[in-house]
Amino acid sequence: MTTSRPACLDWLQMLTGICLVVFMYLHALFLASIILGPGAFNSLADFFEKYYLAQKGGPAIALVFLVHFFLAARKIPLSSREQKKFLSAAKMFRHRDTWLWMVQVVSAVVVLLLGAIHMWVVLTDLPITAEKSAARIQTGYWLVFYMLLLPMVELHVGIGWYRLGIKWGFIKSAARHRAKRAEYYLTTFFILLGLIILVRFLLLSS
Amino acid sequence: MRVIYTDLLCIGAGLAGERVAIEAAQAGFETVCLSLVPSRRSHSSAAQGGMQAALGNCIKGHGDCPDVHFQDTVKGSDWGCDQEVARMFVDNAPVAIRQMDYWGVPWNRVVAGRSCYYKGGERLEKEEPLEKTGLITARDFGGTARWRACFCSDGTGHAMLYPLDNVAVKYGVQVHDRTEALSLIHNGEQCLGAVVRCLKTGRLLAYLARATLIASGGFGRIYRASTNAVINEGGGQIIALDTGVVPLGNMEAVQFHPTGIVPTDILVTEGCRGDGGTLLDVKQERFMPGYEPEKAELASRDVVSRCMHEHMARGLGVKSPYGDHLWLDIRHLGREHISVKLREVDEICKNFLGIDPAEQLIPVRPTQHYSMGGVRTDKNGAAYGLKGLFSAGEAACWDMHGFNRLGGNSLSETVVAGMIVGRKIVEFLQGHEISLNTGLVRNELKKQQERINRLMSRDSGERVYDLRNRMQDILMDYVGIFRNEKDLNTAVDELREVLHRTGNLKLSSSGTGADPELALALRLPGMVRLALCVAYGALERRESRGSHARQDYPARNDRDWLVRTLACWPESRDLPRLEYEPATRIVEIPPGDRGYGGGGVIS
Amino acid sequence: MSRKLKYSIFRYNPVDPDSKPGMQEFFLQETENLNLFVALNILREVQDPSIQFDFCCRAGICGACGMVINGRPGLACRTKTADLPDQVSLLPLPGFRLVGDLSVDTGSWFRAMNEKIRSWVHTDKEFDPQEQEVCMDNRVAEKIYELDRCIECGCCIAACATAQMRVDFLGAVAMNRIARFMIDPRDKRGHKDYFEVVGTDQGIFGCMGLLGCQDVCPKNIPLQDQLAYVRRKMGWQALRRLMPGQA
Repeated sequence: MTTSRPACLDWLQMLTGICLVVFMYLHALFLASIILGPGAFNSLADFFEKYYLAQKGGPAIALVFLVHFFLAARKIPLSSREQKKFLSAAKMFRHRDTWLWMVQVVSAVVVLLLGAIHMWVVLTDLPITAEKSAARIQTGYWLVFYMLLLPMVELHVGIGWYRLGIKWGFIKSAARHRAKRAEYYLTTFFILLGLIILVRFLLLSS
Repeated sequence: MRVIYTDLLCIGAGLAGERVAIEAAQAGFETVCLSLVPSRRSHSSAAQGGMQAALGNCIKGHGDCPDVHFQDTVKGSDWGCDQEVARMFVDNAPVAIRQMDYWGVPWNRVVAGRSCYYKGGERLEKEEPLEKTGLITARDFGGTARWRACFCSDGTGHAMLYPLDNVAVKYGVQVHDRTEALSLIHNGEQCLGAVVRCLKTGRLLAYLARATLIASGGFGRIYRASTNAVINEGGGQIIALDTGVVPLGNMEAVQFHPTGIVPTDILVTEGCRGDGGTLLDVKQERFMPGYEPEKAELASRDVVSRCMHEHMARGLGVKSPYGDHLWLDIRHLGREHISVKLREVDEICKNFLGIDPAEQLIPVRPTQHYSMGGVRTDKNGAAYGLKGLFSAGEAACWDMHGFNRLGGNSLSETVVAGMIVGRKIVEFLQGHEISLNTGLVRNELKKQQERINRLMSRDSGERVYDLRNRMQDILMDYVGIFRNEKDLNTAVDELREVLHRTGNLKLSSSGTGADPELALALRLPGMVRLALCVAYGALERRESRGSHARQDYPARNDRDWLVRTLACWPESRDLPRLEYEPATRIVEIPPGDRGYGGGGVIS
Repeated sequence: MSRKLKYSIFRYNPVDPDSKPGMQEFFLQETENLNLFVALNILREVQDPSIQFDFCCRAGICGACGMVINGRPGLACRTKTADLPDQVSLLPLPGFRLVGDLSVDTGSWFRAMNEKIRSWVHTDKEFDPQEQEVCMDNRVAEKIYELDRCIECGCCIAACATAQMRVDFLGAVAMNRIARFMIDPRDKRGHKDYFEVVGTDQGIFGCMGLLGCQDVCPKNIPLQDQLAYVRRKMGWQALRRLMPGQA
């Protein structure tokens, strides 16, 4: 009898994916409170601390993040033969959705490394405050770090939900092109928002 | 010597071949199908409009029954068919179609209630009764008294072939695709199998079987312009003819379909006219009612093709760089009807003509389409001349089509004959053993290998493609819709010359492996022999019957020519030997008026 | 003034020990209404009779002539040269065993696939020749036909980087076939039976949603929606199996 494992892992991959998509977009919106000023940012952060959302939620998200990576990694070609086959197929067939998958793989690896560092640094130094974040970014190295992490996260998240919608049928073929356009707009929006947030932190006087 | 042994060897894996194979496999016999292409690419898949079976479910088919189907078929054949076979056919067609349904064919169904339909451009209404809802429905086709062509949109052949091949997979029918039978192995009395060339590697193999079936389809590609797939080069008929003892029946009976598109000669279904499409001339006026007031566009194919030809000869065709043509108009059927019921036509028009049939006219002209003739068999599908050899489908002259096949009757024939002949083969296999003479097998293999070696080693000679093109042009020019003695004499003389020259073919390629030029070079002399059977049979038949229209003998002559031509090819001759047998031994309907087509009758 | 088109055609004859894989160039004047069926046949008849390629119905119905045309899998018979640039590159479909040049062995691949997914109507009912056919709603029949229009040309496999990477992946063609049986009331298999054949990483859960299949399918079969349909059904089936008391 066929095992249910592939199916269950696929479910988990989808569910963890949805969690992370929702988390990442909310995360960006919370960060955006800095645009209103350190006061708004800090009171939101206080709110999360008070209800233990940062202390408990942070590690939980980290766990989901790792689980999602390992689930998705099943699909990444590990042998060089498979990698070559995929690459040659993608090269021959200039097809956007196939290339987007490569973007997903590359961004996944970057997000895994940088995202883990980011989470480690933030979660081992609670509470989160606007001042601490600004100080970190103003060192310069961290700015470069976030400038890399930001587009990678947004690309991965954007392509991720588009792909999920396709695979499970939330997005029907008739809506595919609209969904893809929405994905581009949304990704661009969040990258721009992220940049504004970074600039705001950079300009925040301590 | 590599030998494969099996109970039944089917040469051809289209609908007929596989239907027979399934019958044998179900009875527990090992069955191998040979096929030039993967079975699902067989030309059966290109049949579009429908399969005739007298179910009488839809309101316009009300009152239909095998008797009416029988009358239509016999009239359609212009009394050239074997009436005993036609009777077996019409009686079994409803069973065969229901079995195809049982196997998964998504036949279109009766939808209760009022709906409109078109006839000759005129909008009419019909109302389907509630009690027939969900039963298999039908559409109108040419030469039929009732709506009888059951269909799956206009991809009926495809929609039948896939489920049938599924059943073949289920029962373990082996399909050795990309193989070509080069000759039959026989001892003059019994057929023992075939010598086969693998079209992947070029290797020769011997297949030995207790029964051998030829179900390789038609030979339309001896004509330059044909609706047929490029594989329809008559391989099955060639190897039967080459035995010298198996006759081909009625080879002169070649059908021209009224609506091949211009250019490219791709078929658009008779269903276009069945659903109410009309034929228009250069003035964009309907002309068929002028020739056939009663049936108009829905007269039988031979009649419509002749009218179109005549109309163009009067200068009323549309001039184009590809020659004259006429228009097929289905615009009034509406975009929805076209995109649901005439989907393939829609795709073909868009992809190959760059036109939208819901808005524009389709350029069409009569194009070679079907071979009524083929390996002559008795009513059980057993070929004349060799025990253990059978034939079914278009490859055969079983002979339910006589001199003109009705649209939708060929698709029906494949599965009905497949069922009947399959059963007879099972009976045959249950009581028949062969004794093998290895020397015979080795000799036949050697003979074919030597042919190949000769072709590969010849330093100078005739170009393969040139001679094929020459043969095709001769048939186009002299053995078309209208025939006469002068043209046919020319055709026979020139084809004999071409045949002679095919003895000296030279390859331009190396011939190694699956070389396509070598495959054609091996086939070509046989194709020219088939062409000669057609031309010579047509020359000798001094009457007009069905699709065989002689300008010099315009009447149907039931007094002298109510017979079937049998063409045999004794070794080292350059013409077939023609013999004749009565068209039918059992007469249910004596020869009479077809009800369309006009023309005189000598009785 | 008509164009002179350059065709770069993949050449390799595996049976010939002297043959080396590579591209060979041919030139041919473009004529009106030229398509790749006509062009390749002219090249074969006039310039090089040894070129191997497959055509059968030449009407977009049989699926024999799938090849990679300027990087894109498609049916050659339906490809008009007017829609192509001055240079045309032709490669055999990847993912299938090469017979020679542009010709690949799709027959064995599809037969194996059909055997694996048990692609036939499963029923306990015997066929009774005396009986009327079982009624079916015409909309259901039309829906089945819609999916049955697949011509097994192999383009969806060639355009699927997943199938290229993982040789045992069954591909969109198989999932579409299963979807066809799922909606066919004559097939008595339940979701748990379908799960046995496609509820795997070689089946639907191997699909990564790249949609190359959907974008090249010459018959415009809605493969994306069929893949999602099968994924949902098989996903639910997996959950059902996890429930206590369920096998």
